[in-house]
Amino acid sequence: MAANEYYTRMGDGKRVLMTKDQILADIQAGSADAADMGGIQALDDNDVEALLEIVCDRNRTVGVEPGKEVPLTYDIGQLDFTGDNGNSGNGVDMGRLEAALLHERALGADTFELAHSDYSIKPVKPVISMEMQTMEEIQNEIVIPYFYGAMPNMGLYYAPDGPYGNPADLMREFKIEEAMDQAEKSAQALARDIEYVATKIYDAGADGFNFDTTGAAGDADAVGTFNGVEKLRKACPNAYINVGMAGESVMGIHGSIEYDGQVVAGLYPHQQCKLAQKAGANVFGAVVNTSCSKSMAWNLARAVTFVKACTAVSGIPVHVNMGMGVGGIPMFETAPIDAVTRCSKAMVEIAKVDGV
Amino acid sequence: MTDFTKENKELYDAMVAYKVPGITAAVEGARKAGMSATQIIDGLSAGMTQVGVLFERGKLFLPHVLSAAAGMKQAMTILDPELKASGETTAKKASVVMGTVEGDVHDIGKSICSTMLQCAGFDVHDMGRDVPKQTFIDEVKKGCTFCGMSALMTTTMTVQRDVISMLKDAGLRDKVVVMVGGAPVTQAYADKIGADVYGDSASETVAKVKDL
Amino acid sequence: MAVSHYMASGMGGIRTAGDLVARMEYSQNMKLKDAKAYVAQKLDLDPLEIGDEQIMRDKREELKLGVVTGLPGAPRGIAAKMNIEKLLGIKINSCDKFRQMMKN
Repeated sequence: MAANEYYTRMGDGKRVLMTKDQILADIQAGSADAADMGGIQALDDNDVEALLEIVCDRNRTVGVEPGKEVPLTYDIGQLDFTGDNGNSGNGVDMGRLEAALLHERALGADTFELAHSDYSIKPVKPVISMEMQTMEEIQNEIVIPYFYGAMPNMGLYYAPDGPYGNPADLMREFKIEEAMDQAEKSAQALARDIEYVATKIYDAGADGFNFDTTGAAGDADAVGTFNGVEKLRKACPNAYINVGMAGESVMGIHGSIEYDGQVVAGLYPHQQCKLAQKAGANVFGAVVNTSCSKSMAWNLARAVTFVKACTAVSGIPVHVNMGMGVGGIPMFETAPIDAVTRCSKAMVEIAKVDGV
Repeated sequence: MTDFTKENKELYDAMVAYKVPGITAAVEGARKAGMSATQIIDGLSAGMTQVGVLFERGKLFLPHVLSAAAGMKQAMTILDPELKASGETTAKKASVVMGTVEGDVHDIGKSICSTMLQCAGFDVHDMGRDVPKQTFIDEVKKGCTFCGMSALMTTTMTVQRDVISMLKDAGLRDKVVVMVGGAPVTQAYADKIGADVYGDSASETVAKVKDL
Repeated sequence: MAVSHYMASGMGGIRTAGDLVARMEYSQNMKLKDAKAYVAQKLDLDPLEIGDEQIMRDKREELKLGVVTGLPGAPRGIAAKMNIEKLLGIKINSCDKFRQMMKN
């Protein structure tokens, strides 16, 4: 390794050597990409310098200064222990009570959540009583805020899993209007199911609800979720509600579906957070996806640029999503510690997030 | 030689505006101005490429891309008689089997790529999502000389490697160009599994294969 | 992943006052700085101190807010949360449900 070279990572987790100039060029390019796509400011010279320092730190791990720590929230609940490789899970089967208390007491979790192994709204509906009894049990023991988490996952409402026509199939046949109609109907069904599941679990003592990967099935998925959150907020005024997105841009599968009079397709984090707040969320989970073929420096700069623009305008706290393949973190099941700590520090100190 | 700069711009702009009536109107205008069918198709293709780029930049959405593709299809219907009469061929460049691999249901990027390949002159057999490995082999046996596989999860990308292995076992590997893509896929991974083409985006993939 | 994030930037939950700060963010939509200032004021500490394990360990034991190691007799679950309600001036859903279940 030459004196001007630094160990860093690619977006797929591969360790590489890059010079400081190369890292700087990638930071500037990544930030410019976000600025161009989102119509936002790129990072200024101070932020670029700070990010460069973080990425080029020669230590294995980095961290924030004392006093700058943030609360950590979780997606997928105990599935990080009990789940399989697909969830970046460790494959260790255990009860959900033990998993929750271990996260609270051994992993420093500030909040946690109960999750079903089929982590979506629709599959939880028929087993909601089982989830309620587990929630009651764990709330008796846990101290930290304990949510119920699920993905809206509106794709499950389309054929073959659900009752509505699949827009992917309809669009292939150029039946665009029919595809849009089915997406709208699915969004309505999703909103109803969110109200049902979330109010039930709140009745069991949950502190609130975490919606993970909102918009994963496109703009209608996001609209269905926002409408569901509205219903939940109305029914449970004091519930803690976290709305976490699926990507930096809402996919326009429908293309023109609206929430609160605004077309949702193509919205970026600094715009998404406003809708989440309007719907009734307390915390917004900004998401920026990692590109595997770009360096961590490029990905992190891009992610920080998007999230900084979001935290600057959001009326509610922003907890940036920083799991596998998001928030600058490489898309790799066992995310390298050097990468995770650098991304974590950058998001807190430069993007000014309220949590991770 | 007549300068068709104005007509080419109108064709390009009509495609980027993605409305079928606008596209067919631009085609009629180009025909009246004396452009040949092949020249018109080239003008539309340039617009379609830009539509793909705009989709990837988040400026256009899926229904817009498909509307542009529908316009392209309509244009081909209008131009087909002239192409046949002039002896110009409408033969497809090649047959392509496309699919999201078994166990994976994400297909938006793959569908965009299929649409763009179609507009670039390929005969596309889009098998959808969660496509069994054997289906790719069967389509190659039936005559597809390009095979495109998409995977959006680290747990499903390994199926791309499996299909390449099956192509080798069936003695078909050197008869087909294998394209791979999807969020967790990289050039390094494509090289590792022996794929021929890696595309970071639909437009990049089409750019790499259209002149092969 | 959780361990890496905690080492880099996490407050540490009931090791310190991370859960309390999280409650203020969620229950009152407070941004980080305001949530920390609020919790610090309630604990009669500096915002820097609420993230300090050594200071918060005694504080949590003294105020019966729940502690992170196994200490027989230290409040857990609902008991700890009821004390947290009083400290922060908020209502916690599971405590409300508990109270509803009490007869008379």
